[in-house]
Amino acid sequence: MENVATHEDWKVCFAELAPGLVLFARQFVRTSADAEDIVQEAFVRFWRKQHSVENRALLFATVRSISLDLLRRDARRARREATVVADADHSVAPQFEDTSDTQQALARAVDGLPAEQREVLVMKIWNELTFADIASVLGISQNTAASRYRYALGALKKNLAGHE
Amino acid sequence: MNDFSELEAELKELRPAAPSHELSLRIERALAAAAAITPSAGVLRRPRTSRLNWFTLGLGVAAAAAAFLLLARPEVERVSPSQPTIAASTPALSNNALPTERRLVPEGVTRVVYDTRNEGLVFPGNGAQPVRRLRAHSQETLQWRDRQTGASLRVSYPTEEVELIPISGQ
Repeated sequence: MENVATHEDWKVCFAELAPGLVLFARQFVRTSADAEDIVQEAFVRFWRKQHSVENRALLFATVRSISLDLLRRDARRARREATVVADADHSVAPQFEDTSDTQQALARAVDGLPAEQREVLVMKIWNELTFADIASVLGISQNTAASRYRYALGALKKNLAGHE
Repeated sequence: MNDFSELEAELKELRPAAPSHELSLRIERALAAAAAITPSAGVLRRPRTSRLNWFTLGLGVAAAAAAFLLLARPEVERVSPSQPTIAASTPALSNNALPTERRLVPEGVTRVVYDTRNEGLVFPGNGAQPVRRLRAHSQETLQWRDRQTGASLRVSYPTEEVELIPISGQ
């Protein structure tokens, strides 16, 4: 596998991956500042090790691991994050660019998904990871990853239909 | 392919918010700082597969061996060929107070862990997956006892143990 990190400016890679990475990190910490801290740490570690940029599963696994470490390290912070999640509709800065009312409803529906489904959805839709990659990141089987994805879509569809 | 294709298309129309420009600058600074600290940044480190710090273990074993030899030295002198001559010329030194045989028998090993540290995620040089590195410092004590005299010999030495645990999903 080609190691892009050895000959390509990191900014090119980062510009392509950063929005999706930050969105993924926000599934754990829910604030942009914290998410960016996590992405910074993960990306610097990843880049310094000169892992192949194509191995995005490793990059996402790093983001996830750092996020979980952060939550575990500070229980008070975790409780605060849980509170934030509960009040997500009102207090969390938008995770998406300017959206229409319909898209805002969709974003809220995504936000209301169970965490295990939401993280699969984020990796699949906005980061275009394969189910094999997602399974590798989460340490689950591909079938389980695909199931969570289908459950997420089903829940979204049901949620949106209920609001129509 | 499935009945979710329309929903998937709608989801993909949502564009994740762009990170701040500051983030890019911070990463640039972090990478520059890392390169300044370690001129060989990017060179894969040698994987740490050893679970024991052999240097400290070697020191401990060497200390134990030295202590054992020091203790055994008087015994060697007692069984030397010159002993009968000395005994003959000085009958008063009949070694009544000294045991005729001194043996140190291993009695036990104890290990006290006094510090454990989770050093977070690391990347083994040849591994594709990150692993968590746990470091533990402990004090190991070996003890021997002479069953005849009750004398004991105790040697303690520090150890450092590094454990690499593969990362898995929660």
